[in-house]
Amino acid sequence: MDALNKIITWMPQLLNGAKMTIIITILSVAIGLVLSLFLALGKMSKNPIINKPCSAYIFFFRGTPLLMQIYFIYFGLPQFNPALTIKSAFVAAMIAYTLNSAAYLAENIRAGIQSIDKGQNEAAKALGMTYGQTMRYIIIPQTVRRLIPPVGNEFIMVLKDVSLVAIIGLSDLTKVTRAISSSSATALVYIPAMIIYLIITAVFSFIFNRLEKKYSVYE
Amino acid sequence: MKKRLLACVLAGAMVVGSLTACGSTQSAEETTESGTTDTAEATGGSLTLEAGKLKVAAEVGYPPMEYFDEDGATPIGFDMELAAAIADEMGLELEIVDTAWDGIFAGVDADKYDVIMSCVSYTDGRNEEYLLSKPYVANAPVLVVPNDSDIADVTDLSGKSVAVQMETTADYVMQDQIAAGVDVDLRQYEKVINAFDEIKAGRVDAVCTDAVVASYYLGDESNNYKTVWQAPEAEPIVMCFKKGNDNLKDAMEAAISTLKENGKLGEIATKYFGSDITADIDY
Repeated sequence: MDALNKIITWMPQLLNGAKMTIIITILSVAIGLVLSLFLALGKMSKNPIINKPCSAYIFFFRGTPLLMQIYFIYFGLPQFNPALTIKSAFVAAMIAYTLNSAAYLAENIRAGIQSIDKGQNEAAKALGMTYGQTMRYIIIPQTVRRLIPPVGNEFIMVLKDVSLVAIIGLSDLTKVTRAISSSSATALVYIPAMIIYLIITAVFSFIFNRLEKKYSVYE
Repeated sequence: MKKRLLACVLAGAMVVGSLTACGSTQSAEETTESGTTDTAEATGGSLTLEAGKLKVAAEVGYPPMEYFDEDGATPIGFDMELAAAIADEMGLELEIVDTAWDGIFAGVDADKYDVIMSCVSYTDGRNEEYLLSKPYVANAPVLVVPNDSDIADVTDLSGKSVAVQMETTADYVMQDQIAAGVDVDLRQYEKVINAFDEIKAGRVDAVCTDAVVASYYLGDESNNYKTVWQAPEAEPIVMCFKKGNDNLKDAMEAAISTLKENGKLGEIATKYFGSDITADIDY
């Protein structure tokens, strides 16, 4: 009973942390998704001026630890040029997570687009459609359904990666949990914290499953 | 549905089972360890967890107290050299255990090391939970602000942002101020260097930190900053042991006394702080 009372007193702080975790996750995956569509199309472009920078971007953000990217954007940039100082730690975190998830999502989108049968491209061309029209009306709508599972996967990855924001002083669910744990000298708080993570994951898995069913009509 | 429920219960039971299993192994280990220590002590032998070895924990990343040399692997600093000198004096081999500050105290209770020498400030709370040595360096949290700042005292902090390393005495001092009604926007970081990164980037108005590290971190830019306030309660630095480990505490305090007498302690202090800030300690 004593343990339960403690957990209840911790709840408001934990939920506050969870709010930060959820906001960063949703916003960065949503904005990252828009950015990633351009990156994916750019990487598939035949023009080297477009595809080289897109490939380099994806290579960089997938090839370096997210921890370092956050650290560099927030603490590193101001030391190279004071004009690059990002005032708010939240904005810096949003930039880092968005740029990072865009790189991962771009590869998912590219795989999705390339999984559509090549014959459809040729058929669209035969009908006189431009590349843009083919993508917009034929390929992308079919890609959407195939994209839902990897996007859901990316979402759950980001949800847990948000725990890294503690290094720039933001209080997400993990930071709050650690702070409570060290001030109360007990690891008990990890149990409600993990349950909150599982609930968030369960809710979003449910939503993504629903979306997947809804978009199945294209298959 | 029923099947699913059963599966849940089974999974739950397995988790609990494995937790208990871990618990019992650990206590078994502890018994053996304390058993050996007792016998060793009876024969006048080892004071430490491992015979002949002194395991000292530090969060290596807090210059000039403990930090890595330019090779990124050798721990140096005031605490580290003092630990080496103490181990030398006691005829023990020194092992530095680099650990995160967050959780460093739990580690000494779990017998992961013999002692913490990591710029541990004396607090009444810590004194209740652990065995603390006599202070070996005088210290207190201070406020560091840019030269052109209008902050002159802790009471001027209302509406200002202050960076601290989380769970340090500086953090506690600021939390006390908040509890006392000063409206401080407190920013907590894992590493003390990040608090200084913040003030150098102009994102916070002040840094609250230990007096002994402030000048080190400002480095080349120290002329652009000033120290405006010092916490009224001195928070001297102590060694932290597990409760009941009085024999080791006494032996290490005796070693520090010897080092103070033969001038070695003053020599190390001068090397890292520029002056002998240990001259007034009670050893």
